[in-house]
Amino acid sequence: MSQITLQVEEKPSNKALIVTRLFFKETMRKWQAFIWLVFPIMITVMVCLANSEPIPGTGMHAFDYAFPGMVVYAGGMLVIRSATSFASGKKSGLLDRFDTLPIGRGNIFLGGVLSDTIFGALSIGVMFTLGYAALGVHVASAGALLVGFAIGMLFSIQSIGIGILIAAFAKTPEAASTVSMVIIMPMLFASGSFFIFESSIVYFMPAYWAKQVFFQLVTLGNGLGDPMYSSTLIGSGATAIAIPLWGGLLILVAFTVALLIAGIVTFQKKTAL
Amino acid sequence: MMQQVNITETEIVLDTKDASNSTDINQVPCPEIIAKGLEKRFGQLRAVDGVDLEIPAGELFSLLGPNGAGKSTTIRMLTTLLVPDAGEATIAGLDLRKQRAEIRRKIGVCPQDVVVAELLTPEENVAFVAESHGIPRKEAMRRAVALLEQFGIAGRKTAAKNLSGGMKRRLNLAMALVHEPEIIFLDEPSAGLDPQARRVVWDFIRDLKGKDSTIILTTHDMEEADALSDHIAILDSGKVIASGTPLELKEKFGIGDVLEIQFAGHDAAEAAKALLKGNASVSGITDNGNQRLLISVVGGLEAVEALQRAIMTEAGGVRNLNYRQNTLEDVFLQLTGRRLRD
Repeated sequence: MSQITLQVEEKPSNKALIVTRLFFKETMRKWQAFIWLVFPIMITVMVCLANSEPIPGTGMHAFDYAFPGMVVYAGGMLVIRSATSFASGKKSGLLDRFDTLPIGRGNIFLGGVLSDTIFGALSIGVMFTLGYAALGVHVASAGALLVGFAIGMLFSIQSIGIGILIAAFAKTPEAASTVSMVIIMPMLFASGSFFIFESSIVYFMPAYWAKQVFFQLVTLGNGLGDPMYSSTLIGSGATAIAIPLWGGLLILVAFTVALLIAGIVTFQKKTAL
Repeated sequence: MMQQVNITETEIVLDTKDASNSTDINQVPCPEIIAKGLEKRFGQLRAVDGVDLEIPAGELFSLLGPNGAGKSTTIRMLTTLLVPDAGEATIAGLDLRKQRAEIRRKIGVCPQDVVVAELLTPEENVAFVAESHGIPRKEAMRRAVALLEQFGIAGRKTAAKNLSGGMKRRLNLAMALVHEPEIIFLDEPSAGLDPQARRVVWDFIRDLKGKDSTIILTTHDMEEADALSDHIAILDSGKVIASGTPLELKEKFGIGDVLEIQFAGHDAAEAAKALLKGNASVSGITDNGNQRLLISVVGGLEAVEALQRAIMTEAGGVRNLNYRQNTLEDVFLQLTGRRLRD
C-alpha cells in the first residue's frame, strides 16, 4: 500500500506585516520604549494625587475630569516616537536599503504606522488599566470604555501623522525629538488637556477634540447628539458650542486623516527617489 | 489492490514557473547590465558624466576610482536609488526608468556604510531581507542561519549594534546575498576591515563568482580590484577613463613592470643607463639619485630576467635589486597624473 503525503508550502508573509514586525521589535527593544510607557503613568499618578478633592454635586473627583487629558497626553507622546523612528530610518540609510528591496514605499509606510499604532494601543491600554482598574476613575458604562479606547487610538494615529510630518523635515533623530517636544507640549497645553483653558485657541488644537469628546462620552456618558462644551469644566465657566458630539468626533477623524496623509505625502516628497 | 491516498494537508501549491524565465538556447546571451550616457548632477557638480557600461552576465565587474569619482552615484542609479538626469540603462533586460520594482527583485545591494536594524539580531536582519523577497518565514530563517554560519557570525543572539566592525560588515554583505540575487552590487564591501577580515570577504566574493551571479564591485582599492575582477572600468571625475581586464589595462596603460636597482657606484649606474638606452623592453628609466634607477620594463617576466642578466654581467656593480609588477595604481597614475589615493 503506497501512501502519498502532500505538504503545505509555507506562504510568503505580507510585506507590510514584515515591516511592521521589524519596526515593532526595534521599538520594543529600545530603552526609550520603557520611558514612553512609564512617563505618562508617572504624570497620571502625580495628577491624581494633586486632584483628589471631590466636586460637589457630581459624585466625581477632580481627577475624573483630568484623566481624559492624561489619555490624550499618552497618545500625544507618539509624536516623539514616530518622529524619531522615521527620522532615524532616513538618517541611518535603512530607508535607502528598504528602497532596494521589493517592498515598496506603501508597505514601508503602512508597516511604520501599524507598528506605532500597536505601540499606541499598548500605551493607551496601560493608561486604561492604571486609570480605570487601579485608580478608579469614573466611567459612564463598560461600553463607554471601548469608545474611549477607540478615541485614544484615533488620537494616537493622528500623533503618528504629526510625527512623520516632523521627520520629513528633520535631518537627525535628535532634531526630530526636540522639535516634537517643542510642538506637542504647547499643543497639549493649548488644548486644555492638562488644565482648563477657556479660549477659542483650543478649537484649532486636535487634542481638544480628542479630549473633549472622550470626556463627554466616556466620563459623563453624554450621547452623540448632545452639545460639546468649550472646556473640560462643565458648569459655571464652560459654554456649550454649536457642535454636537458626533460633529466633534468627525472633526477628530478629519484631523487624523488629514495629518496622517500630510505626514506621509510630505515624507515621501522629501525622500522620494 | 486498493491504493490509499492520504492527503494530510488541504493546500497544494503548484509550481507555476514563469515561461519567460526559461532559457532559449538559440538566444544570444545579452549583457546583464547596459548603461549608455548615464548622467547625474548635484547642483553644479556633475557626479556622473556620461558613463557607458556593458557588463556581461556572470562576471565580476569593478568600478575603480578615487573617492568622489562617481562610483557610488553610478551604483545608486543602477540600484534604483537615484534617477539619472540623462542616459538610459537596462538591468537584466529591464528598463531602469520604467521597471524599477522588477529590477529590485533581481538585485542584492551591499551599501558602502553598514546599514542594519541595530536592535535586531543578525539572523533577524538577514531573514527580514529574505522575507521581503517573498521567501517564507521558516525558510528565510533557515537561510539566514546557514549564510551567517559561512560568515562566522551565526548563533549570536545579541543585537547587531553589539557586533564588532568586521562582523557588522559581514552582516551587511550577508543581507545582500540571502535571496541569491541574479545581480549583486557591492559598494566598497571591505572598506575599513582589517586584513584578515578583508581576506574572508574576498574569499566569499570569489566563491560567489562561481555561482552564476553577476557582481558589480566598487572600490578604490587597486589590490582588491586586481585580485577579484574579470573586468574593470576606471572612473575619474564622473567619467569612465579606461576599461578592460586587469591585464589588458596594465598592458595598455601601464608603464611596464618595474625593476629597481641600487648600484654600488656612479659609474656602474651610468654604464647601466647606457646599456639600456634603446632597448626595446625598456619603456622608461628614472634616476632616483643615490645611484638608484627605476627601470620600466615591458614584455613581462622574461624581459625583466633578460635585462637583469644583461645589467649584472655587462654593467655590474649591482648592490641591491628589487622587482615589482605593474599595478593598477600605475595605470591610474599614467591616465590621470595622480595617484588613486591623492
